[in-house]
Amino acid sequence: MPLKKLTTVTAADHVLDLAWSPDGSQLAVTPSTGEILVIDANGQILHELPEHGLSNGVGSWNGDQLTTCGADGKIRLHHLHASKDGASPPSAPREIPLGKTWIEHAKWSPDGIHLAVGVGKSLLILDAEGNKLSEFPDHKSTVCDFAWNPQNPREISTVCDGGAHMWRLGEEKSFGHFDWGGASLIVKWSPDGRWLVTGDQTPSVHVYDFTRQHPLHIQGYETKVKALSFNSTSTRLATSGGPMVTVWDCTGEAGPEGSVPKQIQGHAKDSLALDYHPSSDILASGGQDGLLILFKPETRTTAVGLEKLKSAVTSVAWDPTGIFLAAGTEDGSVHLFNYTLS
Amino acid sequence: MPRCLQPETFMPAITRTPVTVLTGFLGSGKTTLLNHLLTSPHGKRIAVIENEYGEIGIDHDLVVNSDEEIFEMNNGCICCTVRGDLIRILGKLMKRKDAFDHILIETTGLADPGPVVQTFFMDEDMKAKLFVNAVVTLVDAKHFSQQLENSEEAKEQVAFADVVLLNKCDLVPTNELATIEKRIRGLNALTQIHRTTRSIIALDKIFDVGGFNLDRVMEMEPHFLENEPSHSVHDHDPCDDECTDPTHDHSHHDHHHDESITSVGIEADGDCDGRKLNAWISELLQIKGQDIFRMKGVFSVKNTKDRVIFQGVHMLLDAATGTAWGNAPRKNRLVFIGRNLDRAELNAGFHKCLI
Repeated sequence: MPLKKLTTVTAADHVLDLAWSPDGSQLAVTPSTGEILVIDANGQILHELPEHGLSNGVGSWNGDQLTTCGADGKIRLHHLHASKDGASPPSAPREIPLGKTWIEHAKWSPDGIHLAVGVGKSLLILDAEGNKLSEFPDHKSTVCDFAWNPQNPREISTVCDGGAHMWRLGEEKSFGHFDWGGASLIVKWSPDGRWLVTGDQTPSVHVYDFTRQHPLHIQGYETKVKALSFNSTSTRLATSGGPMVTVWDCTGEAGPEGSVPKQIQGHAKDSLALDYHPSSDILASGGQDGLLILFKPETRTTAVGLEKLKSAVTSVAWDPTGIFLAAGTEDGSVHLFNYTLS
Repeated sequence: MPRCLQPETFMPAITRTPVTVLTGFLGSGKTTLLNHLLTSPHGKRIAVIENEYGEIGIDHDLVVNSDEEIFEMNNGCICCTVRGDLIRILGKLMKRKDAFDHILIETTGLADPGPVVQTFFMDEDMKAKLFVNAVVTLVDAKHFSQQLENSEEAKEQVAFADVVLLNKCDLVPTNELATIEKRIRGLNALTQIHRTTRSIIALDKIFDVGGFNLDRVMEMEPHFLENEPSHSVHDHDPCDDECTDPTHDHSHHDHHHDESITSVGIEADGDCDGRKLNAWISELLQIKGQDIFRMKGVFSVKNTKDRVIFQGVHMLLDAATGTAWGNAPRKNRLVFIGRNLDRAELNAGFHKCLI
């Protein structure tokens, strides 16, 4: 089997998110409630960071700084450092209260200069010290998700009821709006910045091709699409939306338009989390059925690796080197695996 | 035309958390009711989703303020709208290990209960973990008549209600209360009405209603079917002003309200043709679903030993098999609550399904 189990760590609650630090030395484990854990690839707990009220939000790394957020309406900037001997004591976090509204996401720009925070119907842009620089207000509903353009750290897209908005730092008004008459819940950019894809309240995805300024609507999923992942070369887009994982070809002038996707079976229940390996075409998928499955969509439509975990797999994340794979579950477990490229 | 009709596969309610939706105009006593429910000894762990403009603070740890956000789908079809804020907030809350026993959702005074209810039928994540126990509408007895004259929202909130709390009864003479109750029944013949003062009510009247539980549809006792036979399938044309037939109920002639929202009840003995019944209800909800707020029915279908139960919310339809008829006389009973309902057309449509 390509996966070798290393260890299991227990978090306080349902694992909402797993995020490796950019150098791969630390893994942030965000449970629904309870302390946010920072562990290493061996499962050693390096830091236990305070929770954010009724529900934690999903934060992000900026170098060795981890930003956390949540229902208490606060973000905290934690400067963390992992040494070979374990963790150094973290300095006191910088806490920034932003009101009563739940904060579900806080994301650093690719260049690490700006922090975007969704606060109700606005997206706030903060600097590295947490000072507010600008605000993109007046979304039709709460900003459900947002994503920085990996190729342009001054561009960010937001999704809400009313589709996707494109914003540029320094400009007050959005420079693009893809309104398809409904709500989008999650958003992702392809690494090359060509494609923007949304998962919607209806069982569908919308794909925008910035090369052609061309929108595309893909329907036919069994359920809402809960996970999206591009491969490292931006040539494949994996989507969940039921037990089947659907992989679209993003090469060529038209990309997925008119193409037949690869549909990959393996889960008995819905696929909840997807993550492409950072340097190969291996795709990790976590399911409601408790299965962690490795697929190789280019050559096989069935699993090339499979682990049965004790509860639904809600989050999966490869480390930046592609050597380690972490899987978080509904019961609060984090399973760490070593992956051997065959 | 968007296809909204979704016959549901009913999930066992026992594994899901009940949701009670509180509606009612500003000043009707919603916050007082919430405080009463939260401070009474019920042993439940309750989460409250309070609208952004809640009247006064609620002394409770698990209160989340929410801006009512309507997600439209399928080109603005009202039957497909859901509440995006509830999907987000409840989606997060239901991931907590220390789950809740009950969810209370307080809406703003002018809110349409439709999208709130539809959220728990249309969103797969909500449907998997939560179910609607009841829509509870508070009515300010002193101001209700005036509100009805001025507001479609007031009528819709009553029309959607499984339970109406006729509140502030201490401020209104008893004979006026009876008149108000009659108007409520005119809008919604299925609702339970409780007279209250300062929103004081027995907890089980709120927490254990089962308004969307198909099993309880069999227990429905529409009040006009019992008390106002002129509104049943044996209906006759409306009386003219000279009618003196003592068997007719003329009490409604005391008031000349032009209510566009009404209830229509149909009752008929014998069996239906199952295919015709399905086709009729499906087509009816497709075409008129925007105007039909609630629908409930218990049917006797030919060659079926058990009762067949339907309930609908706008274009959404649930169906299930009920208990066996046994030796009980086989009959059909259904009720529509909605706007601009054509009683004669509904009667004629149903009669074509009879064998």
